[in-house]
Amino acid sequence: MRNRERAVYSSFFYIVFAPALLIILLLTTYPMVTILYDSFFRYSFVVNTRTFVGLGNYIHIVGEELFQRSLINTLVFTLVASFSEVVLGVALAFLLKRQFLGKRVASLIVIFPMIISTMVICAVWQIFYHYEIGLFNHVLTTLGMQRVGWLTDQRVALASIILVDLWQWTPFAFLIIQAGMGSIPSEIFEAAQIDGARSGQIAVKVTLPILRNQILLVLMLRTLDTFRLFDKVYALTGGGPANATQTLSFFIYREGFKFFNFGRASAASVITLVGVAFLALFYVRRLLGEEE
Amino acid sequence: MKRMSMTMVIVLLLIPMALFARGVSEDVTTLTIAGRDGAYGDAMELAIQSYTAKNPNVRFELLKLSGSELMEQSVIELRGGTGAFDVILIDDPFLTQLQEAGWLADLDALYRKKGVAIDPDLVENMVNIGRYPYPNGPLYALPHVGNVALFAYRQDVSRKYGIEKFDTWSQVLDVAKKIKANEPGMAPILFRGVQGNPIVTGFLPIYWAFGADILKDGKPAFDTPEALNALEYFLELAKYAPQGVTAYQATQVSDALLSGVGAIAIEVWPGWIGNLENPELSNVVGKVKIAAHPGEVKRSSSMIGAWMVAIPKDSKNIDAAFDFLLHLTSAETQAMISEKNGVPPTRHSVHKISSLVAMYPWYPAQLDGQISGSIRPRTNYWAEIESVFGDYLQRALVGNLTAKAALEQIQRRVTEIIER
Repeated sequence: MRNRERAVYSSFFYIVFAPALLIILLLTTYPMVTILYDSFFRYSFVVNTRTFVGLGNYIHIVGEELFQRSLINTLVFTLVASFSEVVLGVALAFLLKRQFLGKRVASLIVIFPMIISTMVICAVWQIFYHYEIGLFNHVLTTLGMQRVGWLTDQRVALASIILVDLWQWTPFAFLIIQAGMGSIPSEIFEAAQIDGARSGQIAVKVTLPILRNQILLVLMLRTLDTFRLFDKVYALTGGGPANATQTLSFFIYREGFKFFNFGRASAASVITLVGVAFLALFYVRRLLGEEE
Repeated sequence: MKRMSMTMVIVLLLIPMALFARGVSEDVTTLTIAGRDGAYGDAMELAIQSYTAKNPNVRFELLKLSGSELMEQSVIELRGGTGAFDVILIDDPFLTQLQEAGWLADLDALYRKKGVAIDPDLVENMVNIGRYPYPNGPLYALPHVGNVALFAYRQDVSRKYGIEKFDTWSQVLDVAKKIKANEPGMAPILFRGVQGNPIVTGFLPIYWAFGADILKDGKPAFDTPEALNALEYFLELAKYAPQGVTAYQATQVSDALLSGVGAIAIEVWPGWIGNLENPELSNVVGKVKIAAHPGEVKRSSSMIGAWMVAIPKDSKNIDAAFDFLLHLTSAETQAMISEKNGVPPTRHSVHKISSLVAMYPWYPAQLDGQISGSIRPRTNYWAEIESVFGDYLQRALVGNLTAKAALEQIQRRVTEIIER
């Protein structure tokens, strides 16, 4: 009887969720399966020819210098940007936790970059970074220092894009961490203070361990987002100088929509998908593992 | 009862309105144009206004897209065969790829159907760009924007160093060295250094002048002594360009030229220099000479970068679209666009209108370029070749690779692309 009830109960949920599940399957699984299928073909979208090449696209792409460069740049960008954003977000949250005059205005200013369109941000930063008339080089020359090719020097260009990403997305980390901080009962801090803990000790030994899940969540979301970096590269450097800012997403875009080599673009997409899935799985396991 | 009467009156009023609306809609043709943004989009709008003034029953939807968006959307729509676009703008090197797929309407057939011939006033070399196979096949596109890469230099500065007119690239290098030594604050050389299309387009006139080719008998020809000489020369010349030249686009080149900071631009396009003789926007009125490129081991050959107009064969309004194409490329429309907007014409007669020549003194050089200029290779792989060429060119420019190593890499990668 109990089993029957459970079966009825489960069937009800399956029936209720079936339409949504079907739509999700169509919108996510179908494209993924298509991409996987196409990745085994030499497939020119324009002339609509398909030739089965097995793993040929993967072997060629992985052996190409441009792809390797794109992969390394993507990993560097992901690691540096996501970790820095989380560290800065935590620092900002601690800074704005205290009560002070103008706290509300400061909070508003801090989250401002996050609400602007990326293309607008890139246009503004392009002016800041301009070699001749840019703000940064103006400051440097005023201080008697050499100008820097922020977007034109291959040693600096990727870091310049990371800086734009930090400016735009640190507020996101700050907001989540701040929300997490707000949910910690004040009794915990009071107890720690009664036990003689200093504010630094409270931050490191009480607040941060409690915020572990929020930090992991932000880290996961930022890692997944930065791994797919495209818009800033497209708008600021176009992948240059000398491929110093090429990323996996940009590689896929070039192959897919500039050259219409859908087979190669699909193979690169599958590799990226595996990378993103691996990262997501890592974080989700840590998050769920903690809850269990 | 009262409500019922009101409802009846409304229904009786709506029926003739609906019928009338249907009657109107049957007479109206809507042409959808996939066009460019910026000045080209404005030029198309001018042509649309003048056309609708004469043909009020034709309406237009004009999509103003960036170059890459235009190509992406055109390919996706044409491949789908939906007939969503009636007229499309095509950057000339990509015409081969689109017609290889058989997506465009045969304009020769439409000319025959309409009982008219191709106007010989249209520059023949430019018309032939619209033929597939190039240059003798059927016509699939007409030349709308007569872009030709030109060479610009401050004649007042070059005269100081004994050069009235640059005949060779060696002279350009010599003068660049002298400007660097004697004209503080002046950038001797300007070009677009962004990787991909910009740097390739700037380099090609040098490459060709040194006798090098991109493809020879359909095979890559980058590992030749001529190509090496051209690239070594380019890298030497680039030493006299501004520090941030690897990020220079059209705007930076144009700004440097108009502000008087730049001395020699190895590549300018008519669209960039429309304000050169406008004293409100230019510090160099009457000082900049626009000419054909210098030669070296070969005579100069300007690079043609025309924007062509074509009709997708799946368009549902082919006849109306063809009528608009004839209007767009007519002498009257080209003269009007040229005067109001500065977009370069593709007709002999328009290049010779004295008021336009006064506004745009480079028109004779532009016409010469159209008549005898070179086009980029007609191949399905041009986008990829240009991308690889531009990548390694910039790597050589920033010092990552020697000229020889860069050309070897280009040769290897382009061979892979073609043989793939």
